Amino acid sequence: MALLTVENLTKKYGSKTVVDHISFDFGHHKCIALIGPNGAGKTTTLRTLAGLLKPTEGSIQFESQAKNQDLREWIGYLPQYPSFHSWMTGKEFLIYSGKLAKLSKVEANKRAAELLKEIGISEDAQNERISRYSGGMKQRLGIAQAIIHKPKLLILDEPVASLDPIGRREVLVLMEKLKQEMTILFSTHILNDAEEVSDELLLLNHGKLIESGSLIELRKKYQTTVIELQVEDEVQPYQEKIRALNGVSNTKVERDTLLITTTDMNQARENILSMATKENWKITTFSINKASLEDMFMRVVNN
Amino acid sequence: MVDINWALIAPILIIEFILLLVAIVDLVKVKETNGPKWLWAIIIVLVSILGPVLYFIIGRRSR
Amino acid sequence: MQWMTLFQKELLENWRNKKWIWVPLVIILLSVMDPLTTYYLPQIIDSVGGMPEGAVFEIPEMEPAQVIMMSLSQLSSLGVLVVVLVLMGTIAGERKSGVSELVLVKPVSYMNYISAKWVSYLLLVWVSLFLGLLVSWYYINILFGTLTIGEFLTVFFFYGMWLTLVVSLTIFYNTVFKSAGLVAFFTILTIMVMSIITQIFQHVLDWSPNNLSSYILESLSSGEISSELFATAGVTLILSILLIFLSGLIFKRKEMAV
Repeated sequence: MALLTVENLTKKYGSKTVVDHISFDFGHHKCIALIGPNGAGKTTTLRTLAGLLKPTEGSIQFESQAKNQDLREWIGYLPQYPSFHSWMTGKEFLIYSGKLAKLSKVEANKRAAELLKEIGISEDAQNERISRYSGGMKQRLGIAQAIIHKPKLLILDEPVASLDPIGRREVLVLMEKLKQEMTILFSTHILNDAEEVSDELLLLNHGKLIESGSLIELRKKYQTTVIELQVEDEVQPYQEKIRALNGVSNTKVERDTLLITTTDMNQARENILSMATKENWKITTFSINKASLEDMFMRVVNN
Repeated sequence: MVDINWALIAPILIIEFILLLVAIVDLVKVKETNGPKWLWAIIIVLVSILGPVLYFIIGRRSR
Repeated sequence: MQWMTLFQKELLENWRNKKWIWVPLVIILLSVMDPLTTYYLPQIIDSVGGMPEGAVFEIPEMEPAQVIMMSLSQLSSLGVLVVVLVLMGTIAGERKSGVSELVLVKPVSYMNYISAKWVSYLLLVWVSLFLGLLVSWYYINILFGTLTIGEFLTVFFFYGMWLTLVVSLTIFYNTVFKSAGLVAFFTILTIMVMSIITQIFQHVLDWSPNNLSSYILESLSSGEISSELFATAGVTLILSILLIFLSGLIFKRKEMAV
């Protein structure tokens, strides 16, 4: 059975529908990326799953969740901009979080010590007020507080968006490791991050779930090839001509290159090349590339 | 000039002084305040009782 | 267990932000201000140049009971203001800064969250009130005459009920508004409206919490605690508990964390 099953989850504010009847489920020890442009409803979805917001419609069901049982016990959550009781020390805050999550005093102390070591906050820094922590330290402390009670589902809202490349790498490595112990659901608008750690993708736009599946499945489904064309002079004048050809779905000029997406690769290639020969275009580059995840994303979002 | 029993007034002055001292020590230790620190130092020292209280209520950045 | 964790956090926070030092000190100063200035009024008038020629200014002999009521009236204005300002951000501030998001995503009972705050602030306010009235009592005994320990405790206990209501009301508004300023404004407004209503409907609202002070004075002069005082204290306590209960309900229904 799936760890979490979400059915027709909807969140409305007045007449504005921020999350619109989304349904999905996922199993144990998975890493799921929630992708979408800004304003797609990612944060609202995550907050609703974390129990911070109440769904207007729909249901969220955990495996083995009894009726009316508080699902917050199984969830760890890190918001995009976490803020702490900055008058506490890092260690105090972790112990406090642990106790709130119903760990005993002894357990909370033990887990806090373990985690502080794991996320690399030094003995000295542990006993300093959080107000003196750097952004990266706060982010790592944020993850530590989210996993202190060993939740089954860890929800991270844009966990690496605000970090520098080193911090970003550290967090991605940590996520890779945590995947062994729990399911991770995280949102991002950076596709590379999603590609790097996630097993499954959920694509959200305008509050609707427009696509979901494993990375491999989606790649196969949306695999398109792109023709890159360069000529000696300006490539612009050729754009209209090529777009009119059979087998071509869209064209785009990027600097000196014309990017051509196709509905039928073979047909498009034939048509373009024969026209090029007929009109004697001075082609310098004609190459066929597989579309990146980014292109796929743009296609799905724009449809 | 007039006979004021200073032994009676002294505790009040001491309380006022402690209030001022706690506010100043806190001001020095705290990282940031709402508004410039030096301004708060002046307010705490010059305005008796109300100065420190104002600092604690609005000057101190609570979280 | 979880309640204790939340309660201890409040105590530690109010120790670190020095509330446990400055609030008692300010309440002490407010409590003794009027008794002292009253006692030294003749000297004060002299020192600013004395009375104009021919003017007669009789300073009436003050009863100890009247003097301790002066302390209460000071506490009822500035003291209440201090209590409201101290409490105005306790929940609103946590929501505004976003910490509540981390706290309430843990399996925290909303009732625990509210009541731990309530009890911790009641403790602060009651301890401050006790110290304030204790010092005031000490001065009154030296300067104006004897007030028995029983009378002192009566004043302390029943006036504490009034401040309990003020604390509860501020916490209640904390669950309604996200801005600390609005919390303070509406708490003060409510207290003022209550006092006006109590005055207008005096004949019906015998047990309005706003009458606590006058019943305290009555009992000091009569020497026994009237049933009105008990009833009013009871009403005040019930109102406070209802407000806290209501705050918990609002918290449960509203999406408070974000």
